Amino acid sequence: MSGGKRATVIGGGSWGTALAHLMASSGADVRLWMRNEERVAEVNEQHTNARYLKDLPIDDKVVATSDLEEAVRFAQTIVVAIPAKHFRSIAYEMGVFVTGDQILLSATKGFEAEHLKRMSQVLREETCARKIGAISGPNLADEIMAGQPTATVVASPYDEVIDAGAGLLAGPTLRVYGNHDIVGVEIFGALKNIIAIAAGGCTGLGLGANSLSMLLTRGLAEISRFAERHGSQRLTSIGLAGIGDLIATCSSPLSRNNTLGRKLAEGKTLDEALAEMHKVAEGVNTTEAVHLHAEHLGVDMPIARGVYAVLFGGEKVNDVLGTLMSRANRYEHTERPIDEPEPITGSVVETALAVATRRPG
Amino acid sequence: MRNDLRDAALVELRSRIVDACITQAALEDGLPLDVLINDTLYHEKKRLETDRQSPVRAQDAAFWDDVKSRLSKAGEAELKEILKSIVERFTEEVRGNFSPWVYGMATKVMPKALPLLLNALSPKRLMSRGMPDIGETINIHGDVDTLRRMNELGTVILAPTHLSNMDSPVIGWALFAMGLPPFTYGAGLNLFTNPVMSFFMRNLGAYRVDRRKTAPIYKDILKEYATVALEMGQPNLFFPAGTRVRSGVIESKLKLGLLSCGLRAYINNLARKKDRPNIYVVPCTLNYHLVLEAETLIDDHLRIEGKSRYIIDDDESSRPRKILQFTNNLVNLSSRITVNVGSPLDPFGNAVDPDGNSIDGHGRVVDITKYVTDHDGRPTHHPQRDRVYTREAGLAVAESFRKHNVVLSTNLVAFVLFEMLRHRHPELDLYRLLRTGDEGTGVTVAELTRNVGHVWDAVSTLSREGKITLDSRSVASGDAQVIVQSAMRHFGTYHTHPVMVRRGDRVFTEDMNLLLYYSNRLRGYGLERVVRRAIREAS
Repeated sequence: MSGGKRATVIGGGSWGTALAHLMASSGADVRLWMRNEERVAEVNEQHTNARYLKDLPIDDKVVATSDLEEAVRFAQTIVVAIPAKHFRSIAYEMGVFVTGDQILLSATKGFEAEHLKRMSQVLREETCARKIGAISGPNLADEIMAGQPTATVVASPYDEVIDAGAGLLAGPTLRVYGNHDIVGVEIFGALKNIIAIAAGGCTGLGLGANSLSMLLTRGLAEISRFAERHGSQRLTSIGLAGIGDLIATCSSPLSRNNTLGRKLAEGKTLDEALAEMHKVAEGVNTTEAVHLHAEHLGVDMPIARGVYAVLFGGEKVNDVLGTLMSRANRYEHTERPIDEPEPITGSVVETALAVATRRPG
Repeated sequence: MRNDLRDAALVELRSRIVDACITQAALEDGLPLDVLINDTLYHEKKRLETDRQSPVRAQDAAFWDDVKSRLSKAGEAELKEILKSIVERFTEEVRGNFSPWVYGMATKVMPKALPLLLNALSPKRLMSRGMPDIGETINIHGDVDTLRRMNELGTVILAPTHLSNMDSPVIGWALFAMGLPPFTYGAGLNLFTNPVMSFFMRNLGAYRVDRRKTAPIYKDILKEYATVALEMGQPNLFFPAGTRVRSGVIESKLKLGLLSCGLRAYINNLARKKDRPNIYVVPCTLNYHLVLEAETLIDDHLRIEGKSRYIIDDDESSRPRKILQFTNNLVNLSSRITVNVGSPLDPFGNAVDPDGNSIDGHGRVVDITKYVTDHDGRPTHHPQRDRVYTREAGLAVAESFRKHNVVLSTNLVAFVLFEMLRHRHPELDLYRLLRTGDEGTGVTVAELTRNVGHVWDAVSTLSREGKITLDSRSVASGDAQVIVQSAMRHFGTYHTHPVMVRRGDRVFTEDMNLLLYYSNRLRGYGLERVVRRAIREAS
């Protein structure tokens, strides 16, 4: 029995298919929209999506379709898992059929490169829907398909959206947490991919746990700076969508961005590395967009700058690592270089004394 | 609101509030009636301790003493009676009065009576000096036809920007000039203390809002009054900034109070299957070359923001003199107040087409009933959801304010001059810069004019993209020299110190605070970069 629960997933890549499978296993009737007719037939007849998920079996309550109108009209809640690059055009097409009572959840972790728009913003602009949310967290598609336990975050300003997301996604292997800070959740989801590429680079160079841990922690710090600048709440960084997702993506060999980083460390160019993978590595577009935007905003993001230099500047992973390691030593939270004098406080006497000590001779 | 409608509204309002109190008290985690009444009593007692000016202080004190003594031995039935008497007392205070006779008269005398509305000046003295005709002074631009149309298709909430106490009479006049009926609106009690102003306010349909009353139930009553009025088809006027904007910027942080009433009224209208259920929010901007209270406002702003870094030397000049000067300026300088009417929005922040349909970003018609109906198509209130909807509508209003902000010569020239001085002292924080000023050296007229030209290019590009509006008189020509002259003429006359003066081939700043105030209207458009680039290129 489905208990009348219904959901639609737009996008039949690995994550979209995994989400469709997950919701079907929790009892929902699911429509999975994908453009490719052959793959529609494969899902409906063989219950597999071999291109993305090898021979992992997909729940038979997942029915694939290439008819967007049918898919959109099928359910009250629609999960959109389309690569960031094509997200807007599909959202626009959906916009013809979406009605104001429907709930749209973005499952894509990425930014629209040109204006650095978050995916939920794109959904808002391209459709009349208001009840919009985002799904994020430590959710590697293959592990979810294998039924391993994990947790996810459904973020939205609307309680109703969080409730609907939890109702569809929660199950014996998935816990759902709600968060009103959709800005933070989406920014962490997108920017962790940059750090994942860097982490792959570290692994590729044969570096160990210390290096990886440094990368993750400092990566988290720079994403937090960026996110807070856009209005995110600080606590989101230590949640599932923040540090949680970062740990998963950076430590798993299954992550695409991680894989890309490894290939780059092996000396391959970006084009060569991408040619060997047939999945989209969102981190590439995100790195470009975020690096340029951060420069413009004046937010210091040294790791993103380094990854950008490797991806688009043809620099070697090793050289970039050297540059990062030779940066001035800093205070951990204020970012003030250690060898710089303390900022002037209210006390004139203290300031005068400090200046006197500083003067050579 | 007409008096018969208003009385019906009051009856409806009272029963809604009393019912709501009783319903929530019955809930497990609700506030029991005795606690609710006690809480209200506490807030009112506390207010009465400090509110010694109130003309009804003695009556109020007696009323609350009575509540206190009844409360101690009240059973369930008596509690409801006490509650009713409290609600009745509060609603009675709120009620406005609309007199068609006064309205008719006011629209005739308003053109001449504006200064009277602003202050209890001696009418005789004013008459002897002669007064400007407000009809020629207020320019109305923008989407006026659509506003009229929306007033026929549904119920309008007009949401203007708020800079000055002049705003209410200016808007009152503008509504009349556009052929619209008077709008219901909540005015602070302070506007009722001036007898002339109070007479007009009361009789033009304003209801009274006492900001010193902090009891939650009082705030509920105010909001519900506006909701009921909207449901009865009464157009409302509401300043989303809540108070006059101290810093002079175009407001972006809005109080959402009445917008949320709009949404609530819309849902109630749907539930009752009303004929014209739609509520339209029409933002509009009020733009002044010179702002009557600019000096006090920017002082206030700097004192709050700057704390100890800002110390004012108080130089309050007498208000009657200021108002006379101000009105003289309106005549002599052909200074104009521009009311720029924006496009209508629905209570969710969607744009609305000329037929009153909500449309999405691609112009596709949106069925907005879907936003608020449940699975069975029944309209429902859902406070958490509705708060987010209202927040989104607020963002759309703020966006409209930015687009309909009118660039006037005073704002443009003040902005350029302020940025030139800031560029000269990049090491100073704002408060030091305000103290330092131009160090008595000024800038050359040629430099100022050249930079005004550059910024004009930038704002006219923005205006073509629909991101800001250019004043058709003082700046539209694009002649930087004319723009600078227009600004100098305005700045030289009205304020205690002229904002800027020309001596020989140089322009000197005489009042940095006012320069900041007038420049702030153009913040948030990225124009600072334009000035910096222009200065760098010139050097």
